[in-house]
Amino acid sequence: MINLAQKDISHTLGKFIVTAMGVGMLLGIVLIMIGVYRGMMVDAEMLLNDINVDLWVVQEDTLGPFAEASKVHEDLKDTLKSIEGIHASEALTFQNLQLYGQKLPVRVTAVGFDPFGKISPVDPSNLISGRMIAKDHYEAVISSETGFVLHDKITIGRNIYTIVGTTKGTVSSGGELLIYISLKDAQELQFSYSNASIRNDRARGALANTDIHMVNTIVATIKPGYNVEEIAQDIRKWKHLSVYTNEEQTTILTKNLVERAAKQIGLFTAILVVVSTIIIGLIIYTMTLEKMKEISIMKLIGIPDSIIIKMVVQETVLLGFFAFIFGNIFSHLIYEKFPKTVVLQAPDALGLFAVILVSSIVASFVGVGKVIHADPTVAIGG
Amino acid sequence: MEVTQSIRANNIVKEFGKGDTLVRVIDDASFTVNKGELVALVAPSGAGKTTLLMMIGCVLEPTSGEIWLGREKVYDDRWLTNNSRQIRREKIGFIFQAHYLIPFLNVIENITLVPQTNKVPEAEANAHAMSLLKYFDIEDKAYNKPSQLSGGQNQRVAIARALANKPEIILADEPTAALDTQRSVSVLKMLKKIATEQNVAIIMVTHDDEMLPYCDRIMKIENKKVVFE
Repeated sequence: MINLAQKDISHTLGKFIVTAMGVGMLLGIVLIMIGVYRGMMVDAEMLLNDINVDLWVVQEDTLGPFAEASKVHEDLKDTLKSIEGIHASEALTFQNLQLYGQKLPVRVTAVGFDPFGKISPVDPSNLISGRMIAKDHYEAVISSETGFVLHDKITIGRNIYTIVGTTKGTVSSGGELLIYISLKDAQELQFSYSNASIRNDRARGALANTDIHMVNTIVATIKPGYNVEEIAQDIRKWKHLSVYTNEEQTTILTKNLVERAAKQIGLFTAILVVVSTIIIGLIIYTMTLEKMKEISIMKLIGIPDSIIIKMVVQETVLLGFFAFIFGNIFSHLIYEKFPKTVVLQAPDALGLFAVILVSSIVASFVGVGKVIHADPTVAIGG
Repeated sequence: MEVTQSIRANNIVKEFGKGDTLVRVIDDASFTVNKGELVALVAPSGAGKTTLLMMIGCVLEPTSGEIWLGREKVYDDRWLTNNSRQIRREKIGFIFQAHYLIPFLNVIENITLVPQTNKVPEAEANAHAMSLLKYFDIEDKAYNKPSQLSGGQNQRVAIARALANKPEIILADEPTAALDTQRSVSVLKMLKKIATEQNVAIIMVTHDDEMLPYCDRIMKIENKKVVFE
């Protein structure tokens, strides 16, 4: 039997391809939106995975250091080391900064850590050039995506830092690029006041806070054979601190921090899918209208509705299929241009394909309706 | 019903509208057309020629009456079949003023569409289509699209399409209107030959008096009634 859909498409191939590309771009945006959501989830966990510790100790009754502000004393790391079962503990700081020196200011999160400590927030596999920080001051390792390169000089606060290493794909839980600096530099940056500010405070009679030995969190690893939750409970009870296991910290980030944004993106994605379905429906309706004469002729010479409907449904499904292919190509061409992480996953694409398949069939109903109600006498102007 | 009768209409009435806008187009039309006969249907514009043709072709439902196609009674104040399209597909061939070929199918696909829908094997349908194209001297156009053919060639393809399902009846609505006299005469001779050789009953609507000598009988619609000249 002649495949009418194939014949009709090949007759107007250029128009069909352009239409599929147009719908494909829309589907590409849907895929990108899903990718943005996946990227948020990946970003949320990336730094946690790089730091890879068992416990996060933060200021009491806070969800720090990412979801809420947290400030604890640096020497707490020594206290924690004395607890049985603790293998290593280190202090970390996190601070948002704006760097200058590129065409546009670059937003980064500065991670302060002890370069000589046992726990490093830098996964060595992410280091693509240079080396790790080897001095207590004025060296930095930075995400290559910032545009800064090895040996560049960056002014942060009152000091000039030299880039000694660059990383790839390192971002904070909020998707900001990272700059790693020594803990001492980070503390000075975050907690020290300028001389003028200290003088001002003194003139106001306020006691200037000059203690810069504060950090945002203490992280710790546990010796094998010890129960993480028991140690966490022990610290909570006696040290008046909030303690989260790595899983709890992940939950805080993915649920508390990202969930609302994810819902927003999810809703936007759903709307885009509905809009795509409506557009496919309208295109099929128009395509069917353009063929009303031929459809009337076919009905007049006795071709059953089932064969004509099959043509319309097949064309719709093929349009959805090719739009999906174009959408995938389009999304893979542009996703790296987005400033924040976009993760395109095959299961998401397959899920969208299933949705588009169903949507296409639903959209074809408008064309099918026109076929069923087409008057064969229209063919002869009757 | 005699075996030689291919089309028989008894007391066919067709009305459009209702109440104050009711218009009776065909009133109590009764006639028969035999196998192998080429009958011209002549009437002024708007007299109901196409309406009558469409009722015989099971496209338009009469208001009342009886229609027999061959041995089968298809209408008796209501359709007696649930599938009038199957009757059209199996018993009737249509030829129109314009060729009305499907533009996205090539010539041979246009011709074999109905036979293939009737479950005729593709090879058999193609062979029959090629023999028809040869008969009409356009076998070299088998794989061309209608847009690549002249008006006369397309009309011959349209006639070939009408014959592809080996119909008992051909209903032709001004098939020569778009052709010059020479081509029109050629088509008429062709239709007459088909009627005779294939024992097909043909009703042909025409406005062209020059075509009438080639027809076996002339059927007219006068005052909404069907009469034979």
